[in-house]
Amino acid sequence: MLQSKSFVKKTKQGKVLKVVREHYLRDDIYCGAPFCKVCDVAAARLDSNASTIIIVDTNVVLHQIDLLENPAVDNVVVLSIVLEEVKNKNLAVYNRLRALCSNTLRRFFVFSNEYHKDTYVKIEPGESPNDRNDRAIRVATQWYQHHIGAAARVLLVTNDRDNKRKAIEGGIPAETVESYAKSLGQPALLDLIVQAPAEDVTMEDAEDLRPSKRKTIYAEHKPMSEITSGMHRGIYHQGKLRVNRYNPFEAYVGSESIGDEIIIYGRTNMNRAFDGDIVAVELLPQDCWKEEKSLAIANDEDDEDDDVHLAPSSADDAPRVSHPSQISIGNKSDMPTRPSGRVIGIIKRNWHTYCGSLEPMPMPAGDGGIAHALFVSKDRRVPKIRIQTRQLGNLLDKRIIVAVDSWDRLSRYPSGHYVRTIGEIGDRDTESEVVLIENDIDARPFSSQVLACLPPLPWSVSAEDIANPIRQDLRHIRVFSVDPPGCRDIDDALHCTFLPSGHFEVGVHIADVTNFLHSGTPLDDEASQRGTSVYLVERRIDMLPKPLTEDICSLRADVERLTFSVIWEMTPEAEIISTRYTKAIVKSCAALSYVEAQARMDDSRMADPLTTDLRNLNKLAKIMRQKRIERGALTLASAEVKFQIDTETHDPLDIGMYQIREANQMIEEFMLAANISVAKKILEHFPPTSLLRRHPTPTNDMLEPLIQTAASVGLSLDVTSSKALADSLDRAVGDDPFFNKLIRILATRCMSQAVYFCSGDLSPPEFYHYGLAAPVYTHFTSPIRRYADVIVHRLLAASLGICRLPDIFQDRPRLTGIADNLNYRHRNAQMASRGSVELHTLIYFRKRPTYTEARILKIRANGFIVFVPKYGIEGPVYLTSRGQKGGGEWIIDEQQQKIKKTNGEVSYGVLQPVRIHMEVVESQPNRPKLELTLVC
Amino acid sequence: MRGLQLSLDKGQKLRFERAFEVLESLSSKANSDASVIVADDISVNNEDAILKGHGTAEMNDRLVATLCGVVERVNKLVYVRPLRARYKPEIGDIIIGRVIEVAPKRWKLEINFSQDAVLMLSSMNLPDGIQRRRTAVDELNMRSIFEENGVICAEVRGFQHDGCLHLQARSQKYGKLKRGQLLTIPPYLVKKRKQHFHHLDQYGIDLILGCNGFVWVGEHVDVRDDMVEDLSDKSEKQKVKSWNTLGDEEVEAYTPPDTRQNICRSANAVRVLSTLGFTITVEIITEIVELSKSMDLEVHEMLGAEFYVIVAENEAERRSLPTKRR
Amino acid sequence: MEFVNPEGLRLDGRRPMEMRQLRAEIGVVSKADGSAVFEMGNTKVIAAVYGPREVQNRSQQSNDQALVRCEYSMANFSTGDRMRKPKGDRRSTEISMVIRQTMEACILTHLMPRSQIDIFVQVLQADGGTRSACINAATLALADAGIPMTDIVTSCSAGFLNGTPLLDLNYVEDSAGGPDVTVGILPKLDKVTLLQMDSKLQMETFETVMQLATEGCKAVASYIREVLLENTKQLESRRGV
Repeated sequence: MLQSKSFVKKTKQGKVLKVVREHYLRDDIYCGAPFCKVCDVAAARLDSNASTIIIVDTNVVLHQIDLLENPAVDNVVVLSIVLEEVKNKNLAVYNRLRALCSNTLRRFFVFSNEYHKDTYVKIEPGESPNDRNDRAIRVATQWYQHHIGAAARVLLVTNDRDNKRKAIEGGIPAETVESYAKSLGQPALLDLIVQAPAEDVTMEDAEDLRPSKRKTIYAEHKPMSEITSGMHRGIYHQGKLRVNRYNPFEAYVGSESIGDEIIIYGRTNMNRAFDGDIVAVELLPQDCWKEEKSLAIANDEDDEDDDVHLAPSSADDAPRVSHPSQISIGNKSDMPTRPSGRVIGIIKRNWHTYCGSLEPMPMPAGDGGIAHALFVSKDRRVPKIRIQTRQLGNLLDKRIIVAVDSWDRLSRYPSGHYVRTIGEIGDRDTESEVVLIENDIDARPFSSQVLACLPPLPWSVSAEDIANPIRQDLRHIRVFSVDPPGCRDIDDALHCTFLPSGHFEVGVHIADVTNFLHSGTPLDDEASQRGTSVYLVERRIDMLPKPLTEDICSLRADVERLTFSVIWEMTPEAEIISTRYTKAIVKSCAALSYVEAQARMDDSRMADPLTTDLRNLNKLAKIMRQKRIERGALTLASAEVKFQIDTETHDPLDIGMYQIREANQMIEEFMLAANISVAKKILEHFPPTSLLRRHPTPTNDMLEPLIQTAASVGLSLDVTSSKALADSLDRAVGDDPFFNKLIRILATRCMSQAVYFCSGDLSPPEFYHYGLAAPVYTHFTSPIRRYADVIVHRLLAASLGICRLPDIFQDRPRLTGIADNLNYRHRNAQMASRGSVELHTLIYFRKRPTYTEARILKIRANGFIVFVPKYGIEGPVYLTSRGQKGGGEWIIDEQQQKIKKTNGEVSYGVLQPVRIHMEVVESQPNRPKLELTLVC
Repeated sequence: MRGLQLSLDKGQKLRFERAFEVLESLSSKANSDASVIVADDISVNNEDAILKGHGTAEMNDRLVATLCGVVERVNKLVYVRPLRARYKPEIGDIIIGRVIEVAPKRWKLEINFSQDAVLMLSSMNLPDGIQRRRTAVDELNMRSIFEENGVICAEVRGFQHDGCLHLQARSQKYGKLKRGQLLTIPPYLVKKRKQHFHHLDQYGIDLILGCNGFVWVGEHVDVRDDMVEDLSDKSEKQKVKSWNTLGDEEVEAYTPPDTRQNICRSANAVRVLSTLGFTITVEIITEIVELSKSMDLEVHEMLGAEFYVIVAENEAERRSLPTKRR
Repeated sequence: MEFVNPEGLRLDGRRPMEMRQLRAEIGVVSKADGSAVFEMGNTKVIAAVYGPREVQNRSQQSNDQALVRCEYSMANFSTGDRMRKPKGDRRSTEISMVIRQTMEACILTHLMPRSQIDIFVQVLQADGGTRSACINAATLALADAGIPMTDIVTSCSAGFLNGTPLLDLNYVEDSAGGPDVTVGILPKLDKVTLLQMDSKLQMETFETVMQLATEGCKAVASYIREVLLENTKQLESRRGV
């Protein structure tokens, strides 16, 4: 069965290496056609009465994957050589192709032609690898033709003219993608076909409409060899391009060779690079380094402007606030310090599909023909994309998904093709789906394999669980939970018992998810992929299937549940005397909401045991909180809002700031304490493989905007340490009660987000959690909705010797990968929540123009940015109409951050309250937008 | 093929294969499936009446081989006759060895055994042939008898109580060998026979086939000390000149070219045979030498590919003649 | 990296349970008492055995058993980059010891007292699984040298990548950093004489991997036995009666 053939290949890794690999050719590779009489048909994937079997070449896969994904295309044989080439060229497409091949609903078959004894092709002298691969494809096609014979037609689909010619010469039927798609008789399929770049196929009809555009707009990309040598010499710098979320004409390239970020202004300098591309950048001469414009709208082109959006909650999603620096206009000789540059080549594209809509345009005459349209992505970092469509009338008012194909030097916009329609613009479901798609959130129902991992329902604590020696029976203890109203996934509960010694026994009981979620099961894989539950305004996308989330794991009142508990003995001064970790069985006596808990504590008439426990806990929590603050923990604030949703229409009824009560803080305090205790425990047992959470200390650069804003209202902040910052925040009490909170909100958004990491990847000083002032921290208390907590549960269980550590913990790169995925998912979940809130805010104000109070955050050349505390949103207020320079009746001083009316009547400064009017306007059809205007 | 590093052309290869096929078919007729390898079971019919010999071991109540070789049965005794292995001494074997070390009262010899063999000064006849007590002077003069790297012919005396293998050379036919070639071949190719010393009169050479796989081909020593006769008539006192003191050696140093040629021819014959893995006997050697002469081959041509093929074919032909006995 | 594609083929076209092509040749070093070349795919190892012979270092001589010594080395040209390999580095010392101990377990050393057996193995081409190939080559060379043994030792490695147990890892798979279990067995006695693994593996997984490696050893054993028997028969038939 084994036939060996060795081949030699040379790789260049600084020096030339000769690599000899074995290559076994086999005779047990089957054709995949179920009607084949020679082959083993057990693994056959093709249709049993397929009339045509299609074999595609690499370029067809690379460019026309959207077409292949359409269910109209079936009975495709994917050759292993094609897979390999696709993998080398574009991993994303490769993954999609693989998904197609493993999809049981589609008839895609992988034929390992490279390992088949009859279809293996040796490279001939003088033949290029590409030609050899093309030949291999033809040989395999021919083999299929002979093998299948008259049972089906074998068709090679290729867009390569040369390949097609050679195939036809060799008697192999071959067609181009276009002619094949046409033969399927579904015109909509043609939209999915990617047009070849202008160099190859005549795109004249597309271009001659605008002859003026036939000039070169972008500089040519340098060839790869030049880039490599340039990088060696240090004149080019490599990095990932990140486009400013709030200003698509500004991008940053973090360069290791410079150790700083290079700023790239304008599309011309970005030179066709997309957000996320790995690019090579050349620094501009220093005199071309622009002083950053403080104007948010630094357009050198026509489009975008600032939208009203949700107030950011951390530096990661805050706009890159350019510091209008202390440089007064007088000393212009000061050189700007941040290097700026331009993209000279793209090393790796990060193209994927984008969600958005078509730019409104009149219907061209002759409906049904090919029309060119511009696509505007929801993600503002993405430029407009030109697409061709035959169904323009259909698509104009739809949210659609579009893929990018190419961007040549002659066109202002990249060209792409339509992939699919989501739904109508403005429709809540459509827009919600857009939010999910944009944030890469998997909202599909759980698969049957995943659901098969669930314990049989109805589930209840079994006798074995009670008899299990590792599980402590705590059913006699008065345990209760406090959560937001309507919470179904209760993953934590507390108890507090007064001990005869005068101490308290405080227990934090966390749902024992790992008792049901075993490592390596499909359920576990799915949960680890999802990473977290996502909370949208109107729905929740669970990490775990509903029975687990809402029933089996949820610590509901009056039912016995399994928990993983942390139990402390504390002095009345909240000193922890001892800590104990155990699996347990509890029976919660009450599932309170924050409001209820608060009411009980506040109501002096109540003196039942539960209320006493609450009060004791609250007392302890207050002391703990005080201690934490003394250690230097920051009390930060965010502008979270809460919607009231109509149960029938799911439309928002009311919107308001989320109120934080003492009860919330009490619960939070014990959760923090539990997390810290667990973090210490697991780190002690598994120093290299613990999953922890850290919050990096913000750099001075990041805190700069906060300091400046504070300075402009005459407040000086000490940011040398978290303790100092906390103290100065405490001292920052203005004349109005909201001032302090506002400063805290501003401080919060200067910080970067806390992240998960694998303890082996960093050194202990880096474990520090800045916001909590804790040397180590992790997440333990919400395993139902966060996968990180599941991992921590497993680590804790292993450290107690309860169960064995799953293999994954031996594989540090995989653990790091999991941590990265969790961070990604966590961030996406947050972005999705924000997106959902923004969406609902818009829906809410659609019918309700409102007057409200706002705070000025920053003053810009043509207006100012305000923050509306009540609704948690922020956005620009324009004092002048667009394009008009100067302030009209207003005198705007950007340096001093002051605005005065020309007649001197009114003046505003930063953080001062203003009254504004909020209204949804629809300046363009189907594009509603929230507009803020100043009310004097 | 093992040990054979020859470049054969196509025809030669074919002839080679054919010759070996013949050989194989002949042997498989003779002893079918007697070959065993390590850990093979040896089938025994009546279990209690068995004596386990060399190369066998009992494992889980079964007799298994511990060597690769051929199972031999002699009455109750079952043993494995190894093929390629070091020499296993038996008392009385005539062997050839090389002096490794001159130690007090003894020489140590390399004889292709797992240890060096010991030749005591007391177990050899002194060159003058006098049976007498060995004196301290004799001990000091040991190097004048055998030096390091000298080649010696001796007889296995047996294992002494100290575990060493002792040799003896109490006859004039034993002793130092010179003016010839020492060849080392696998011991299993040397058949144990009555006669291991051969005087090939026609070539004027001596041939000693040591049981340990060392083969000596050298100039025939003086007619007066004819070794072959020596063997038959032990009592005859001979004064062997060649074993004399150093001064004589120079006088005797000359060997006629013809004899030298014959020595080389015979030596090459041994080389060819051992490479091909054929049993080595004096008859076959002479046959090969004659063959080479009849073919008018130069001495060095005997080691060419063609000659190997011819020898193999010759051997195949010879063995297939049923009447001919060696 | 993907080491087993969804079609169930490895990078070199084998299936997970398949071994590379084996090739063995006996008697390649004319001066040695026993010698062999053993190839597992592109891994090629030569072994030579000298002895039993007089013990070189008297102090090591033992009166009741033979002394077994082993020296492992890697030819400079054995890997892709031609690097001067220092002799006696930690890795080769370790492998030398491993081979020595493995072989000692099967040699009937008590039959050859006061002598020593030297095993020299050299890697001519390295493509993963050198340890196993060395042991297999040494077994062949010992058998060729006619040294009495209880059984032949055979060895094979197996690994666990992409959640699949893989038999006989080649260099690319070996350097993937996954677990690599090298097993040496006495096939007739069904005993394990060597078991090495450098990383951690779950118990159940380990057992399947080890089972696979053992199956591999058995396959190697049947091949080696074939080669040895063929060789023995050939020697016997050549020698004549």
